[in-house]
This record gives sequence, structure tokens and C-alpha cells, in this order.
Amino acid sequence: MMRDARRRRGIAFQLLHAGLILFALSQLFPLIWVFLYSIQKSGDLFGPELVAFPGDPQWDNYARAWTDGRILRYGLNSVIVVSAATAASTALSFCMGYALARLRWRLKAFVLGAIMLGMVIPIHTTLLPNFIWFGWFGLIDTRLGLVIPYVAFTLSFNTLIYMSQLQSLPASLEEAALVDGASWPRILWSVVLPLARPATITVSVMTFLTCWNEFIMANTYLASDDLRTLPFSIIRFQGQYSADYAAQFACMVIVAIPALVLYLAFSRHIMAGATSGAVKE
Amino acid sequence: MASRGRARRRARGPFERRGVVAALVLPGAAVLVFALAVPLGFSAYYSLTDWAGFGDYRSVGLDNYREILAEDPVFWRSLWNVVLLMMVTIFVQNPVAFALAAVLSRTSARASRALRTVYFVPAVLSLVLVAKLWVELFNPNAGLVNKLLIAIGLKALAMSWLSDPRTAVWAVIWIIVWQGFGWALLFYYAGLMTVPRELEEAARIDGASWLQVYTRVIIPYLAPVISAVIVIDVVSSMKQMELIYLSTAGGPGQLTQFIGVYLYQKAFVAGEYGYGNALSVLFVVVSLGLTLLVQRFLRAVPRDARDGG
Repeated sequence: MMRDARRRRGIAFQLLHAGLILFALSQLFPLIWVFLYSIQKSGDLFGPELVAFPGDPQWDNYARAWTDGRILRYGLNSVIVVSAATAASTALSFCMGYALARLRWRLKAFVLGAIMLGMVIPIHTTLLPNFIWFGWFGLIDTRLGLVIPYVAFTLSFNTLIYMSQLQSLPASLEEAALVDGASWPRILWSVVLPLARPATITVSVMTFLTCWNEFIMANTYLASDDLRTLPFSIIRFQGQYSADYAAQFACMVIVAIPALVLYLAFSRHIMAGATSGAVKE
Repeated sequence: MASRGRARRRARGPFERRGVVAALVLPGAAVLVFALAVPLGFSAYYSLTDWAGFGDYRSVGLDNYREILAEDPVFWRSLWNVVLLMMVTIFVQNPVAFALAAVLSRTSARASRALRTVYFVPAVLSLVLVAKLWVELFNPNAGLVNKLLIAIGLKALAMSWLSDPRTAVWAVIWIIVWQGFGWALLFYYAGLMTVPRELEEAARIDGASWLQVYTRVIIPYLAPVISAVIVIDVVSSMKQMELIYLSTAGGPGQLTQFIGVYLYQKAFVAGEYGYGNALSVLFVVVSLGLTLLVQRFLRAVPRDARDGG
């Protein structure tokens, strides 16, 4: 109540509120702009007006975007690679996070340090050597060759999320299960994993989104067009279809939709996960 | 039998069994070694050669490094651009994000949630999408930016933002900052929500003005969060690559070059794989060094990043 009374005070706050809305517009309007021109003729983009609203929506732009952008092929590739990477990264980081949070072992401080180091190393520094190194194993231009680095680059962050979540939980349930003679795999699967559910959601959603949007590793390690992932749909319009602005914009909208849907469905978890490194809860 | 086995286990302690630790840690560690640690070793090795990426090569000692540091203005330009980006992020993006987060923390829960959701949208979009989106928005003929300038009577300012040497760097920085705004705002909002209400009330009762509440109470209280965000900004400024690669590719004339783009082009376009690897190694060294430096500089951070992470 007191907060409400204060809120009304002063024109300054009104102005700041206007700032909030203006800022929201600056973050959203580019996307709306793309959508508006995705249902018009390519030439309309070059019209003199600031923003042209479509009188006669050209939905067939989306049909061209779908085929020329190879949305189905690339999208399917993305689903396969990203699902595999998400499952593997979540499972491995759960195990490492548990070992770091609960178990007592000698190299723990070293491994934790290495994991934190892993978060600072830019992925771009591994692109050159991995191109050669992965080649030795025949991993270049394969889906597995993309899944492995995706797991590697999400593992550190995910492990730390699991670790901090597990540290906040009491160990008594696991101790009781151990006394009852339950095996470790069983304890991890049916006792610990259900307790760590919030971390599991955050980790898997963030990993999925990160890998779904990833471009430069896919650009480096994949050569065959048939293996490419969804972001390449947009790239395709750079060359042969570059004059087809309308289809290019439609393609951008199509590519944005899955990420936006996932984000809206899990925004709470994504935001919690995003800030977990910087803010003590 | 079973009871004896259990007794032995107890003596070791169930949370100390090596087999369990190994089974949990080794698979993940193996992936990290395979895709992160070994490649760094490879980079270090090839950085001492003149390999083109195929065919024969010979060892050139530290020549690549000497050339980069002493004779490569593009390398220094790329570092300078990182510094510029850091400055804009820390001194422009952060204060704006903080101010907006502060207002947001005082709006109704529903409005604040809706707005936060909107602010973070660019952060969840693919970098390819964001880059290509801004290439179109900056399009000299059809882009929204120039049309907006013309509409408000500033036709003289309309230009090819991404290819004009005067504006290219700033246009690229704008794209990166635009995409990262949601992150900064989210961090500060989360931090502001942890400030105990009593702190602020006490200051108000003592007669502090709004500004004083922020400058004397809330900002000092949030110092660890602010420090952490700055470290994150430094690391992420260093790591920018895709947005530049996909919008200007370092041009015009290497003016918007960033180290991540530069090493990529050296290795895969110019065919100077050894040189690219030397850039890679320097990239790792600079990233680590800068992170440690900032952490030391902002003393509160290390402890807090560990607790929070």
C-alpha cells in the first residue's frame, strides 16, 4: 500500500514509466516491422512511407520461405541435434553437479576450477583446432560432431546450476535410501532427480534454446546442406534469393516462432537460469 | 554377507566411494577434455607453425605471435573495438538497464512481469536472426532507421550505417547492445528484488531523497551484483563474434573487426591456419587475463560469483 502511494508521487516516475514502454517498443518493434513486411510484396519495402501496413496480405511469401529456406529439412535437423545435445548435457551435468555438491573426493576443487574456466573460454577459440581434431575421428560433417561441442559448451554452466540447487537440498533422503540398501543409480534416479526438478527444467530449456540458436559451430563443422540447422534458413536468402525480401522476412518470422514459443512457455525458468550466475538467491 | 558389505561401505562413507565419483564425473569430464582442453593444446601446437590448413607445414617458432603483436594493426583494432564495446556496455547500457530495472521493481507485479518478458525477447532469438534483422533495419534505402530519420526531418543523417566507416563500429555495437539489454536489465531486476525493504524505509525515515536512497543505500548494497554484471559484460564483450560476422564481417576495411571474427577469417578465408591459431591462443589468454583482472579490480566479486554460481 505504502509503495502504491509513493508510486503516484512525482512526475519523474511518470516519465520513467513512459521510458519503460518506449523501451519495450524498441525491443519489440523491429520484430513487428519484419512481420509487417513479410506479408507484403518485396517492392513495398522500398516505398516512401515509414511503415506500410499490408492491405492485401501475401501469405504465399510464407510458402516460398518454407521451400526456398528448406525450413522442414533444417528444422528437423535442428530438432535431432538439439534434442540429443540437450538430453546428454542435462544428464552429464546432473551427474557432475551431484558429485560436486554431495560427494567427497580429492580432485573436487580442481574439477570445479576447470569447469569455471570452461565458462570463460570463448567457443570461437576451439573452432579452428576442432575442425582438424574432429576430422581425425570422422566427426566433421556429422550430427554427432555437432552434438559433442554443444554438450561441452553447455556443460559447465549446467553443472553449476545443478550444483547450487543440490547444495540447497538436505542430504537426509539419500542417506535414508542408502541405509535401506538402495543402489546409487536408483537413488539418483528416483530420489535426487525428482528433488532437483526445477534445476532440470532450467538446464534443459536453456540448453535447448542455446543450441537451437547456435550458428558458428554448425557453420564450421557441417559441410553438407542436408545436415544444416534452422538458422541457415535465413542465411540461404543471402545468395540466390537475396532480392526476395518478402520471403526472407517471412523466413525470419518462421525461424523466430519456435524460440519465442519455447521462451513464452518457460520464461520464468529461463529468466531464473539466466540470472543464477550473478545474483545470490 | 550383505551386512558385512554394508559395514565396509560405512567405514569408507557412502559419499566417498571412488567408483561412484568416477561414474558420475568421468563422462562429463571426458567431453570437456575432448572438445575443450585438447583443442586448446592443438591450437598452441599449430600456432607455432605456418600451416595453411592442408599440405605440409614447418615450425616457425614464435613468429606468428611476434607478427600479431608487432606488425598486425588489425589485431590491435579488434582489441580496441572490444574495449569500445565494453565501455558502451558498462557506461551506457548498464546505467540505463539499472534505471529501468529500478522503475520496473516499483510497478505492479503483473506489469513488471509482462515488461520483463518483452525486454528479454531479443536475448532468446538466434544471433543469425538478430544480425540479419538489423542488416535490414540499417538498409540504406529500405531500412527503418533511415526512414525514421527522414520522417523526423533529419534526412542529412540518413546513411549506410553498416558500411560507412564513420558509423560502422557504432552500428555494430548498437546491435550487440540492443540484443544484450534484456540480460543486463534482468540481472539488475533480480538484484533489486533482493534489497530488504527495511533498508530503504529506514533511509526514507531519516529524510533521504529518492536519489539518495539509490546512491547511498541501494547501489552500495548491490555492489556485488553490479560487479558480477560488469565481469559478465567484460567476458561477453570479448566473446562477441556471430553478430559481427553476420552483419559487417569485420568491414569496411577491417574497421569493425573483432578478434573472434578475425581469427576465423584468417584460418578459413585467408588460409593462414597457423596464424589463426596464434590469434586463438591470444584470445584465450586475453579473455582469462581480462576476467581475472576485472575480478581482482572489483574485489567483492570472486566470493559472490562462487556463492551464486
